Amino acid sequence: MLNGNVKLYDELGELARYLESAMRKMAEVGAPMVADSAQLPQATAHLLDLNKMTEEGTLEVMRLTEIIQDNHARAAKELANVVSTLEAVDCRTLAAHLGKTAQELAQDDKHLMDIMTALSFQDLVAQRVKKLVTIVEDVQCKLVELVVVFGLKQEGTGPETQGKASEMLRQLEASKSTAIKQDLADELLSEFGFK
Amino acid sequence: MPADPNMKILVVDDMSTMRRIVKNIMKQLGFANVEEAENGQDALTKLRAESFGFVISDWNMPVMTGIELLRAIRADDSLKAIPVLMVTAEAQKENLIEAIQAGVSNYIVKPFTAEVLQEKMNKIFK
Repeated sequence: MLNGNVKLYDELGELARYLESAMRKMAEVGAPMVADSAQLPQATAHLLDLNKMTEEGTLEVMRLTEIIQDNHARAAKELANVVSTLEAVDCRTLAAHLGKTAQELAQDDKHLMDIMTALSFQDLVAQRVKKLVTIVEDVQCKLVELVVVFGLKQEGTGPETQGKASEMLRQLEASKSTAIKQDLADELLSEFGFK
Repeated sequence: MPADPNMKILVVDDMSTMRRIVKNIMKQLGFANVEEAENGQDALTKLRAESFGFVISDWNMPVMTGIELLRAIRADDSLKAIPVLMVTAEAQKENLIEAIQAGVSNYIVKPFTAEVLQEKMNKIFK
């Protein structure tokens, strides 16, 4: 009986030490965890910005491609008219040359259509980014739950001062507000003697 | 029966870039009468208000998905004969089977080429 009690006390002591150690470790990682979870909404916003940027770029390429397609269509029509006129006046060699040019234009039309379809990458990127955002938001919810359950508190001066992730985030934020436009860059260049 | 170049086509996708791509390809293939819808619900409203000969739809969309739209079309006596082509990033076997069971006319996996779209249209309107 006495031996049994001693063994039980030993087990309880071991368990208590394990719990204390676990709580200490949790407290150690707690502060950075709080900080990281606070950064996640900002990271999510940057991911969504990525979608916006690729969409804008894609729409611009589409706009320019459509202009070229329309110009090609007009040119092809004009060429067809000229070829008919030349054939009517028996200028067959010249008509054949122009006919070949028309064929080349048609081949280019195919390339233009390939450019348009290749731009569907943007849709695939956007869908993946949306899924990543959902994952990040889910992780954030779980982190918040942990913070609440363990009563963790943020220490130090704030999330923006800690870790590699914070530095990356700071750079991303800075790129939004401090990126210079070309006219300002030119102004600076001219101040340094660039002409 | 070959596709009528004057038929009205409805392109359904929540991404404006995809709608523009499909619209552009259709124009190059000789189909200029193309309208757009942002999701299944929007498409259903347009389909019930006007007469369309062909629907090209994405799968993943907010409000009403492409598969829900397909089921709604097939369940509506006035719409069920319209051919529906799904153009989607959902490339799982289960998705394709689900679409076939719902009555899809053909299925394209993104990214795709104009040739694939033309080939599928030829099969639908042969």
